[in-house]
Amino acid sequence: MTAVGSAGFRHLSSTSVCRVTLQTKSGTEKPSSPWTLMAAVCLQRLPVISADCSPIEQQFRQMMQRMELEKSLLSDHELRLLEDSERISRKQADDYDSDEEENRGDQEIVLAQDLEDSWEQKLQKFQPGLRVNVCVKSSRHSGEGVRARSVPADAPLSCLADADEDLTSLERCLADPLVLVAEQQVGGDKLWLLPQTRWQEGETLRQTAERALASLPAAGLKATFLGNAPCGVYKYKLPKAARTESAVGTKVFFFKAILSDGGAPAAPSASLLWAKKSELQRYLKPAYMMKVERFVLAL
Amino acid sequence: MFLRSVCWSKADFLLLQVTRQAFVLQRALASCRATPSLQHPACASVNERQYRTMPTHGIGRWRHLLPKEAPKKKKDKLQMKEILAETDTAYGSLNVTVSGYDMTLVEHYSQYIHNLCNRLGIKVADSYILPTKTTEVMLMQEQGTKMFVDAVLKTHERVVQLSSLEAAACPVLLDVLLQNQPEGVELSVSEHTEAHFQARFKGRPELEGLIAQLTY
Repeated sequence: MTAVGSAGFRHLSSTSVCRVTLQTKSGTEKPSSPWTLMAAVCLQRLPVISADCSPIEQQFRQMMQRMELEKSLLSDHELRLLEDSERISRKQADDYDSDEEENRGDQEIVLAQDLEDSWEQKLQKFQPGLRVNVCVKSSRHSGEGVRARSVPADAPLSCLADADEDLTSLERCLADPLVLVAEQQVGGDKLWLLPQTRWQEGETLRQTAERALASLPAAGLKATFLGNAPCGVYKYKLPKAARTESAVGTKVFFFKAILSDGGAPAAPSASLLWAKKSELQRYLKPAYMMKVERFVLAL
Repeated sequence: MFLRSVCWSKADFLLLQVTRQAFVLQRALASCRATPSLQHPACASVNERQYRTMPTHGIGRWRHLLPKEAPKKKKDKLQMKEILAETDTAYGSLNVTVSGYDMTLVEHYSQYIHNLCNRLGIKVADSYILPTKTTEVMLMQEQGTKMFVDAVLKTHERVVQLSSLEAAACPVLLDVLLQNQPEGVELSVSEHTEAHFQARFKGRPELEGLIAQLTY
């Protein structure tokens, strides 16, 4: 498996080296277990930017920067600046003899100070992206909502909403990892859980998880699965009244996947959410949550 | 008590010394007669201490107790570690490559990966550095067709080679690595092949020329 993750929106590319296909034994009958097997996918969107430092971390970082600056030696550029200023002061002295000067060539024409000024100008022109995406709820130009990266200067503040609060948006909380939660029909009730689907004969559990991801209404969610082994298990026993010989309960196996491409921003559907680990508690059932939070990492 | 002990030491100590030396000499002679081969007094058997002037001569000797080490060769050709093949439950030799422009980030991240694998019990076969590649960014001049050098970027690469990664540990490790990946650093996991190993060496054109001449 080859995976490459780079900064920016994580682009993951993976090539499966050798997929071991499940060989179904013909003739031998496997004892059918009373558990229905399901596979669920824990799709994560990794953080896009690094998290803000806590106050102690900021103080430490400032102290380390000061220490490193004090202990450091002068760089080439700084040495050049010093030489240039020396040369200028020598030129302006009364007893200046240009023949004694070594011929520097370029350095006399383009002073290091000029280079620094041109770099400063370039820095002024550069505008870094916003750390928190702002979602413009109602635009002045068209009736539909427009998601903009940089806020126009004269947009009225009342119609700006923090994209962090829009739970269906993929661009919320760029510093935290988000998990996809879907509302699915499970045995009569609509529950919030990680997208799952039932296992069928002849396919591996990972393929079942991939099918679960593909069956979601959101289109264009491309994911890379991390490995063939599940990362968690949830066992659900049916209430005693509903239990029969062949159906004692369900076992759900969770597989981890990383979102590689969000695709076109689909219309926000009410049944899909991107939630942080702290928000998962609001949506998932307690027993389910206990098993899920063991493998969802929020570092 | 004190005075008496002093008196004793001066007279009897010398006597003791003499008697002890005589005793040892007798023992040494006896051993010599038993084994006719001459033994260098410094490396006699373990149980005997060789006396010089002080009875405590050679009391701190311990190097003769260590197992014999083979003489260390100065130049050791870099041997290729065995490339493990895939089994049903574990991946073979994997290369985790960390590359980027900022050397501190790249080095710290590769050290973090190494320490994490040690803690998780994943065997790390090797961890090496590939030579840095220098990239010159050239911009076109605004007036004119000449290109001038704008910036010089250096790409650093660090490789951590894992010998056998269990399939159950793989998603855990990858998730942790991806969540802790710093900005500006690329992570890539690939299989280790012989080509990777050979790429670390510089070509020797003179040697190849001489070999070609020999075979010609």
